[in-house]
Amino acid sequence: MKKAILVVISAAFVILPLHGANSLPTPQKMKLGNGLTVYYLQDRDLPLVAARMLVKGAGTAFEPAEGLANLTAALMLKGAAGRSAAQVAEDIDSLGAALDISAADEYLNLSASCLAEHFERLMTIAADCVLQPAFSSEEFEKERQNRIDSLKAAKDNPGQAVRLYFRKAYFGTHPLGHLAGGTDTSLGAMTVDQVIAYYKKYLGPQQAVLAVAGDIDAEKLKQVLNRTFGKWQQSAPAPAASLPQFPVPRGKVLILVDKPDATQAYFALGFPGFGMGDEISAAAQVMNTLFGGRFTSWLNTELRIKRGLTYNTNSSFQQWRGAGIFNVFSYTKNDKIGEMLDITFELVAKAKKEGFGEEEIQSARNYILGQFPPTLENLGAKARSYLTLDFYGLGLNYYDGLLERISKIGKAQADTVAANYFSDQDYVLVVVGKAEEISAQLAKIGEFKVKQITAADF
Amino acid sequence: MKRLTHALIIVLLLSLPLAAGFRSQDITVHKLDNGLKIVLHEDHDIPNIAYYTFFRVGSRNERPGLTGVSHFIEHMMFNGTQANGPGQFDRIMEANGGANNAFTGEDLTGYTNWYPAAALEKMIALDADRMQGLIFDPQVLESERGVIASERRMAVENNNENLLSETVRAAAIMAHPYHWDVIGWMSDILSWKRDEIIAYYRTFYSPNNAVIVVVGDFQTAKIMELIRKYYASIPRGPEPPAVLTVEPPQLGPRRVTVRKPAQTPEFIMVFHAPAATDPDFPAMDVLGMALLQGESSRLYQRLVARDQLAIDVSGGIGMSIDPLLFTFTVKPRPGTDTALIEKAIEEELEKIKKEGLAAKELQKALNSVRMDFYNPLMTISGKAYKLGESEIYYGGYEHIFKAMDPYKAVTLKQVQELAGKYFSENNKTVGVLVPEGGAK
Repeated sequence: MKKAILVVISAAFVILPLHGANSLPTPQKMKLGNGLTVYYLQDRDLPLVAARMLVKGAGTAFEPAEGLANLTAALMLKGAAGRSAAQVAEDIDSLGAALDISAADEYLNLSASCLAEHFERLMTIAADCVLQPAFSSEEFEKERQNRIDSLKAAKDNPGQAVRLYFRKAYFGTHPLGHLAGGTDTSLGAMTVDQVIAYYKKYLGPQQAVLAVAGDIDAEKLKQVLNRTFGKWQQSAPAPAASLPQFPVPRGKVLILVDKPDATQAYFALGFPGFGMGDEISAAAQVMNTLFGGRFTSWLNTELRIKRGLTYNTNSSFQQWRGAGIFNVFSYTKNDKIGEMLDITFELVAKAKKEGFGEEEIQSARNYILGQFPPTLENLGAKARSYLTLDFYGLGLNYYDGLLERISKIGKAQADTVAANYFSDQDYVLVVVGKAEEISAQLAKIGEFKVKQITAADF
Repeated sequence: MKRLTHALIIVLLLSLPLAAGFRSQDITVHKLDNGLKIVLHEDHDIPNIAYYTFFRVGSRNERPGLTGVSHFIEHMMFNGTQANGPGQFDRIMEANGGANNAFTGEDLTGYTNWYPAAALEKMIALDADRMQGLIFDPQVLESERGVIASERRMAVENNNENLLSETVRAAAIMAHPYHWDVIGWMSDILSWKRDEIIAYYRTFYSPNNAVIVVVGDFQTAKIMELIRKYYASIPRGPEPPAVLTVEPPQLGPRRVTVRKPAQTPEFIMVFHAPAATDPDFPAMDVLGMALLQGESSRLYQRLVARDQLAIDVSGGIGMSIDPLLFTFTVKPRPGTDTALIEKAIEEELEKIKKEGLAAKELQKALNSVRMDFYNPLMTISGKAYKLGESEIYYGGYEHIFKAMDPYKAVTLKQVQELAGKYFSENNKTVGVLVPEGGAK
């Protein structure tokens, strides 16, 4: 089975699940002496424990150099508390456990999963990595080089590349334009001193929230935490982390990335969206389900089912604190990209003008509600939900309320979402493909700025 | 997303002290007169059901001219029967709160449905209907052919690692139908004939060639009543023809090169490897974990951490009905001389042949196997998959509850011997994708 190539596409979006009452079991909440908030759920079904941690503000959007947050996160695992990178990897793998640290846009993520009997050992390793990372120059250099190389590998894969180019095209110099994996230029100039400074400034227990779910009793958990993350020293408060005003496309932003060997053209289209927890979420989820969020969606019906143009198309809302975007994605063979985009824009116009039918809205409601329960089945998903709901201040019964609202969404509300967010004049469109075969088809949309995939950066 | 081809299904099963509620006695097996086997496990944690249907058919059962057709039929299973026109299956399922997917491998095709318990009867009716009722409407068939061609372009032609992998597989395996990838060759995709597709469907989509696994919020007696109601009238089909071709022993190393515009090279090395039921399988799996799983693995440490020749390494052995391959997939750094990668892997394999693994590497593998066992049991879909997989590869779900035993029996001596047996020069095929054109 293949491991994904290591360019992290970080997005703060969470699939907002929905369901009946008490969809998420209520955890205990505690605070350690050093300010670390802890959610805890005991679940003895299986001899497993999942721990997740979120550090507010330590995300790519607040980093001083692009890619620094995620590089710092990765380096935390590359040697700690006197153990080398190889020893830390050995310590984790010998348990059959998983431990990852990575940066999302607005926060840093830690994820640890293991057999219950190994929980204390894994948390000891995790705390070593977070509290006493080595940040050696040698490991920094290896990791930095690995990331530069991975960017090239990503550009060999147009489906991956189009999302990176889109992020840049949509957000430009806004902090959310930062790619978690960095760019050739940013990584080229990065130093280990920046990593250390970033760590000192953004990592601290006051900003962190930990969630533990699984086969562990409360007493044991307290003991383990006292010996591990309880020893995390408070540091100077991290700078306030708030995102500047989101860019809103005015006119068409059109980018064509020339990849001369591509036999398929890939596109990403974006409009403005809304922030996490916004009142409109319920209606938006219904609208998106119908537009491009499931197999029988408008997009998939027209592009795949009826015409066989593509294997995959979808749309989604991505949300951050205060704002978000709406995304459409697909690909087709070179000579069909014009037709594919025509149909996509026709659907956008139809959704905006005519909206959706009552019957399909009922189908979408059923679909969202019916598919919700499995999204919180596993321990990691429960732990992750506590952190996300805490971070965005939505409350632990958020899903129940959202579900309730979804169950009442009608045509007027779903149509309003399309009417408000879709536009045939203001959007960002990025196409990756063989320019020689696709440029003529794109000309009617407008003038595309052409980039070469072999050029540095995005 | 939907209906992914998956070429290799690498998963581990084992038996262990099991969680209450998922023991052998919590599972019931039923058989209809037409040969359909049903495996049931009630789990009332969430008000949902995972309803999985597995057919014993995959690319292994294909022939030249019809490569990729197992996967194509998987797609057509959503595209219309006498009772439900094209698209109805998905429309009805989603309107009732359900979702589905499907996958095709070398050895099996799986249909995975997830829906609220209340939708059960409607969903069973849909699934039973398509077991024999597909109409293969010519126009729909042509449209779906385009979808598959797009899938191949996405997954192979515009994915250098998969492109090389397909080439290496075809060089390593000469005679057995594992020679081609599950997706099939493009020229076959573009030319399958409707009557041949239908004949293939009739041959393999019979109740006696299927097993249904259901896990979730249902009552066993009630669901069996519904299954009988909708499936019992489906006639037993012919016994599908056995796959008789045996891959001849490889008598010397093979080497393939792909030249293509790219920014980074690709490197894959494979050796013929034992089938899932071969007594050598668990020890080879342990070798795979020691060599390739996690950052502590020998080849990650050697190629990525120490020599810095590669961005990443992956691979190992996957379950298969007939002998398949042990794979080393290396993502080289741009500009790397792949001969150095090959040499480093050879050196690491020689070390194991001479000195074997360390005891702690065996223990690490056992811990990993235990984690891989428990993880899927957190979800109804994970349980359904494990039960079905066990049925297909080991002939019965019971295997789950003793699968750990052969791993516990693996010895360091056995691992060392098998490294010598399988990782031999004559058994090796190496593939390299060499970037060309303006890219560096």
